[in-house]
Amino acid sequence: MTTLWDTTGSAVVKELAAQRRTGGAVMSGVALTLVVVADEGRVAEAEQAASAAAEVHPCRLLVVVRRQVEAPVPRLDAEVLIGGRLGPGEAVVMRMYGRLGLHAESVVLPLLAADAPVVTWWHETPPELIARDALGVIANRRITDSAMAADPVAALRNRAHDYAPGDTDLAWTRSTPWRATLASTLDSVSGRRGDLVRVHGGQVEGDPESATAQLVAGWLSARCGCTIQVVPTARVPGSAGIDSVELRLDQDEVVRLQDDRKGGAVINQPFRPEAIVALPDRSLGELIGEELRRLDSDEPYSEALEAVTGATGLSARPNCRDHVWYDPMRPQQTSEPTNGNGNGNGSPPSASPAASAATPAPTVPDDSTDADEVAESGEHDSPADDSDEQPVVQSPDAPSAAAGGAPTRKARTR
Amino acid sequence: MPTNPLRDPRDRRLPRVPEPCALVVFGITGDLSRKKLLPAVYDLANRGLLPTNFALLGFARRDWGDVEFSELARSAAREHARTPWREEVWERLANSVRFVQGSFDDDNAFDELASNLAELEGSHGIGGNAAFYLSIPPAMFPTVLKQMQRTGMAESSPDRWRRVVVEKPFGTDLASSRELNELVDSVFTADDVFRIDHYLGKETVQNLLALRFANTMFEPIWNGHHVDSVQITMAEDVGIGGRAGFYEKTGAARDVLQNHLLQLLALTAMEEPVEFSAEEIRTEKLKVLRAVSVPAEDDMVQFAIRGQYQQGWLAGQRANGYRQEDGVASDSSTETYAAVRLGVETRRWAGVPFYLRTGKRLPRRVTEIALVFKRAPHLPFAPTDTEELGHNQLVIRVQPDEGMTLKFGSKVPGSVMEVRDVAMDFLYGEQFTEASPEAYERLLLDVLLGDATLFPRNAEVEASWAVIDPLEAFWADTEPHPYRAGEWGPRAADAMLEADGRLWRRP
Repeated sequence: MTTLWDTTGSAVVKELAAQRRTGGAVMSGVALTLVVVADEGRVAEAEQAASAAAEVHPCRLLVVVRRQVEAPVPRLDAEVLIGGRLGPGEAVVMRMYGRLGLHAESVVLPLLAADAPVVTWWHETPPELIARDALGVIANRRITDSAMAADPVAALRNRAHDYAPGDTDLAWTRSTPWRATLASTLDSVSGRRGDLVRVHGGQVEGDPESATAQLVAGWLSARCGCTIQVVPTARVPGSAGIDSVELRLDQDEVVRLQDDRKGGAVINQPFRPEAIVALPDRSLGELIGEELRRLDSDEPYSEALEAVTGATGLSARPNCRDHVWYDPMRPQQTSEPTNGNGNGNGSPPSASPAASAATPAPTVPDDSTDADEVAESGEHDSPADDSDEQPVVQSPDAPSAAAGGAPTRKARTR
Repeated sequence: MPTNPLRDPRDRRLPRVPEPCALVVFGITGDLSRKKLLPAVYDLANRGLLPTNFALLGFARRDWGDVEFSELARSAAREHARTPWREEVWERLANSVRFVQGSFDDDNAFDELASNLAELEGSHGIGGNAAFYLSIPPAMFPTVLKQMQRTGMAESSPDRWRRVVVEKPFGTDLASSRELNELVDSVFTADDVFRIDHYLGKETVQNLLALRFANTMFEPIWNGHHVDSVQITMAEDVGIGGRAGFYEKTGAARDVLQNHLLQLLALTAMEEPVEFSAEEIRTEKLKVLRAVSVPAEDDMVQFAIRGQYQQGWLAGQRANGYRQEDGVASDSSTETYAAVRLGVETRRWAGVPFYLRTGKRLPRRVTEIALVFKRAPHLPFAPTDTEELGHNQLVIRVQPDEGMTLKFGSKVPGSVMEVRDVAMDFLYGEQFTEASPEAYERLLLDVLLGDATLFPRNAEVEASWAVIDPLEAFWADTEPHPYRAGEWGPRAADAMLEADGRLWRRP
């Protein structure tokens, strides 16, 4: 393991190559690159999960921690490990300070395994628009976790607005054991009848605030063609936010699955004794492992998401995004998209009206280089350039100040 | 499963789970059950691949109660399971475990088994579906099968399936395998008979089909125009262990060549199946097996070699000779090594020799398929530049280190032109270490799902015996060539390739 302080992307690439040469028997090829974007406070958790997943699916692991975007001088600290605490493969943990965090892809791109799929996982509050994070734009598959948002159901709606095929959410991954059990329960009903089973209705009892419970209900609705909702229950639901699921079938039959609080579920179905199946709590690492198994787009997820949020045509959307330049230090920058020029109506297609109601849609400059002075002039060399940005750091609490500061920049975006 | 609205072929997160069913194991106290079957059942349960209503019935002579049996099953599963141990998973499984004691000719015991099964149908909701695993010596088959017929346990009907799983050896020659097939088929219908060849459950073997038929760059050279010869090796470093009684009657050719090696040959040489389904793959394999030719009678001496290990040193330890093993006759002429040159008489393979070898007490445990390519028709280099260049090779390693090696020439760095062989490695476990299911786990699941893709059909078994029988007939009155434990087989086997101007690959 080597730690490089205040380093550059090229030095990291060199160090990785050097370690690979001296490491002896190392992996000759990797099937994918996993980019983990994590908060400083959650790095340890994310590292543990990612290395557990890497045990199952060998990958190059790139952990990106963005810190103090407001720091005046950008800096990159990197830890390069091969066969160390982050599993058998190659891993780089990068801490990016200052405005470098907004250009994380400049460090990450040369580190990606050649021509192998890229999976980006945000182990933090999911980004509002994935297009705003270049690390999401370069990924073939993007993993968010709506459960980490303050309002998971709103986060889910947000995911639907922002959806592109190849997106997935850990709230959905958490539903797999329930869904598998439900499907196999209906298998045994159809096996007994030797005929088609129809679901006329039902309900998911649990926490309506839980994204997973909502997705299970959405999936059932989408598959069965009837509305199945999450209804609150007095019992404290399990980790998936589900206490029980009841399905009303044709021929007046009812099947019911109930969480037994002991890592299992009790199945009640007609003409059969009660049965218990395992419904184990899975670790974050196992969830990520499941996500890495398939890298194609997940239609059942998009259909469940449609059913939950009322959005339509999700799977028909294009599966790649264009990067949308967004500066978190000037969240107001896009509140007046037409300000200063007549040509600023280019709000991104992914920012639907509902999303822009919650947060203003950003303008789309031709490319981020054009819009960002830091990239143009190299902040590292001229930190003085940042003096005018400092007041903006406070802007989230003082929108008027930001509005005052932004227009001068606006003119330069187009 | 179109009858269940929650099943969606695009939803590949949901595992394939069999219908509610019971698994009945005859000979549950045996080695195979303890080391492979019971752990496989636990692993399947742990992965959530068993149906919600599942029961396990064990049948054996030993005088045990449910509790003792459950304890044995638990320790066996715990010791050999590949997935982490979860007590709650086992407890759930243990609730549906039953043991029936009795000998195979005991009518009462089978009546009890039948009534147990009927009872489980109600109490455990297994819906009458059951798979019977015959983990017993083939000599017992007739007795057990007749008992099953008598009690009506073997009858499939539209509302329930009954399947039987048979382990190798499937007979000892063509005649006896026909007899056995007829017997099994008279009790079960042919579609309900699953013959386990655990090699076919290995990921690499299945990957061979992906390699050949999902890629464009291998198939064009996968024929006699480019392939010089094919070597299929299955080497074991162990001796015969405690299986002297069985081995004395069987020998390496019947034990390994007839099933594993010929199946690997079939998968290597077969044409593209019309679709990836059990029926189509078996059809193509059968075609190849029928096209296999053995050396002409006069050539047998040179191209059908069998050997027997003598005392020697292996892995730093002294190893006894075969004739000194417990239970082996001191003048035994059973072979522990067999090597043979076969041909595949099709347009694709005409003229390409397939060298198959298997043996015990060889230096290491390895199974591989090596395609040795022809040399380039013209080399623009000076002869001295390419002195070290051998044949290009494509090696499929079945076990251990499942994967693939490509061997080709490359320039040695330096100021002169010198081409030497290098190896490029693809290690299956490096790209996907996802704990791939153990062969028995996979095959057991396939039986419960009714997917016969990875099981040879009886016509294949008979075609394989048709290859082995002439070899056995030739060997009948000969003595095997001796080889020292710890070396790569007898000298005669090397001579066999030298006669063709080739060399065995050292695996």
